[in-house]
Amino acid sequence: MSRARGVAMIGRRETLAAMVAAFGASAFAPLARAVAYKPDPVINTGPPAPVFTAAQRALVAALSERVMPTTDTPGAITAGVPAYIEHMLGDWAIDDERATIFGGLAAIDARSMADYRVPAVKATAAQQDALLTLAMNDKLPGATEFFPAFKQLVITGYFTSEVGITQEREYLPVPGEYDGAYPYAKVKRIFSA
Amino acid sequence: MAATDRFDAIVIGSGISGGWAAKELTEKGLRVLMVDRGRMVEHGEDYPFDGKPAYEIPARDKMPAALAKRDYFALNGWVSPSTQPFFINDRLNPYDYDAPNKFNWVRPSVVGGKSLTWGRWSFRWAPTDYEANKREGVGVDWPIRYDDVAPWYSYVEKYIGVSGGKENLDYLPDSEFMPPFPMNVAEKWLKGRLEGEFPGRKLINARLSNITEDKPEQNRTRCQKRSQCSHGCSFGAYFSTQAVTLPAARATGRLTLRSDTWVTNLEYDPAKKRVTGVRMVDAKTGRAEVVQARMVFLCASAMSSLHILLNSRPKDSERSWFHSNGALGSAVMDHIFRVGVQGEIPGMTELIEYGRRPGGVYVPRFRNLKTEELPFKRGYGYQGQAFRQPAMVDGFGADMKHGMREYGPWKFSMGAFGECLPYDDNRVMLNFNKQDRFGTPLLRFDVTFRDNEIKMMDDALEQGQLMLRRAGLVNVTGGRGKHVPGEAIHEMGGARMGRDPNTSVLNGWNQAHDAPNLFVTDGAQMASVSCVNPSLTFMAMTARAADHAIKQMKAGVI
Repeated sequence: MSRARGVAMIGRRETLAAMVAAFGASAFAPLARAVAYKPDPVINTGPPAPVFTAAQRALVAALSERVMPTTDTPGAITAGVPAYIEHMLGDWAIDDERATIFGGLAAIDARSMADYRVPAVKATAAQQDALLTLAMNDKLPGATEFFPAFKQLVITGYFTSEVGITQEREYLPVPGEYDGAYPYAKVKRIFSA
Repeated sequence: MAATDRFDAIVIGSGISGGWAAKELTEKGLRVLMVDRGRMVEHGEDYPFDGKPAYEIPARDKMPAALAKRDYFALNGWVSPSTQPFFINDRLNPYDYDAPNKFNWVRPSVVGGKSLTWGRWSFRWAPTDYEANKREGVGVDWPIRYDDVAPWYSYVEKYIGVSGGKENLDYLPDSEFMPPFPMNVAEKWLKGRLEGEFPGRKLINARLSNITEDKPEQNRTRCQKRSQCSHGCSFGAYFSTQAVTLPAARATGRLTLRSDTWVTNLEYDPAKKRVTGVRMVDAKTGRAEVVQARMVFLCASAMSSLHILLNSRPKDSERSWFHSNGALGSAVMDHIFRVGVQGEIPGMTELIEYGRRPGGVYVPRFRNLKTEELPFKRGYGYQGQAFRQPAMVDGFGADMKHGMREYGPWKFSMGAFGECLPYDDNRVMLNFNKQDRFGTPLLRFDVTFRDNEIKMMDDALEQGQLMLRRAGLVNVTGGRGKHVPGEAIHEMGGARMGRDPNTSVLNGWNQAHDAPNLFVTDGAQMASVSCVNPSLTFMAMTARAADHAIKQMKAGVI
């Protein structure tokens, strides 16, 4: 329903634009404004626009779980971090910011083929850790900026997820109180922002 | 609107000032039309992200860089997905300036205006703020003094609720306070050290329009320490039009509120020296009409009010009716803003903060108070807070994850707000070569910071770091960015009050010299800007002007 209406609106706008274009520079001002007018932009709240190939998506998931693994609390995959990263890159990043991640993934894959003769996603956890360590220590050509950017994405995605906010950390209740000298010893899990 | 509708007054704008004008005028018996260009936002119902944790906000409340750059260029760094619904789209509603003199004009697009997203720090101005222009021969003299406004500060504070601590400082008068939000243990420590090292300098509780006691008669509940104020607060815990002034005005039965209505100009009768009507365009239908009333309160926010005044002009003239003396649009100001200092507070690691306050502490102005010995005029204050953040741990994996379950040391950071001087050639004007989608010439800014502001920023940076170091903080750092005017969101001036009709736009009652039935009570009225946040003063001045307007109306003068 809403999809059909959206198509109809685009159609109407395009028709109007085509007609106005026919008049060239002499378009009547209100008509020109109507064509120029675009409704307020909407932030995508649905599934992320796909930016990864299936192989890249699998590698991002594996590496994010290595950065923030499952221990006594859930890790990055359970927290939905891989989808968050794709969302950030698809809807939120501009082109050169995407290149940092794509370039790093390619460099990690290439090194994995060279060292272990398998793509990074098929490497063992220990081998993936070794690859991430190389990236972290700036020893992977083409992945210079990858590690800090990727770690930031994982950490931000994790600590803004429901798992991060309510399981790994403690989300303070409402009604809320304030105590500016609260004993640290009473903190079981540190508080979510 | 039915042709039978008749209004005693039209209030243009519904933010901090417009809401107060509507409340005061309706409560005193007038039938009021309040118009706002923004969409309607009902208290509680239309705060989509109130109380929502990050994972329930689009993109975890991070603004897409490309979208911010394209549509919110003035707001870059301010707007986020949770606040975006309250702000205007700059691409669709452009304004103008000549590079490199950028102006970051932060504008709302909703009923309630910036009252929904403001910082809420609320201070009275001091006697010295109303006297400085005259004493220094800068700008024009204020036609009023602190004592003229003091009763109206009290009146407004009792109604809205201001939390803070009594200090008895002559350069930062106390308000009618609710109890302050307490300082945390590190701030108390810093207070003792700083005040000991620098006799005369103070570190005090923030003064906030966040209430610490319930106001059941206004259906408002005290602050819940969520620190998510800019999402809108359905508790009504901070002052906003929606929570405070709009319900009061509506309760009189004499308020008509029109949202999505753009005012393009005022109609004026030069023979009678009266505003005769307000031309408004329905943003949804594009239909324009002129609505008449006996008087007009212009509260559209400083720069938008100037835009409307500048565009109120005779047919075939580019000069406004209200520009007879050349003062309109000149002496635009903003606070200095881009100075920050921070450091680590040693010790007290056995203690932590529980809960989230809506504000921290304040270091009031200490420069040029008694004598003016420095190479710049006026002064600045700092807003800051002590806090502990989760540790950041190098590496990755389980060790990092579990390492982040600890808090790092106490840190303190503060940023300066300082006073900009009123320069006649810091001005706004119309650009007749470019029009907005309602056919109005764009507002063009020509506003820069000068030597006085640059020297003040340098001093604030140096003194801030010095204070933190001598108080005993370690790893003290500071930075001073380029301040683009507008960024402090304290833009003021352009239709200043003054004693002399030849050099000012308004008299001491906020009445236009050229039209006694026109009152301008937002930031445009300011002849100088103090160094403290201005909104409380806008409220007090608006209530004062409304009282005067009613008296003049009853006396048959307007």
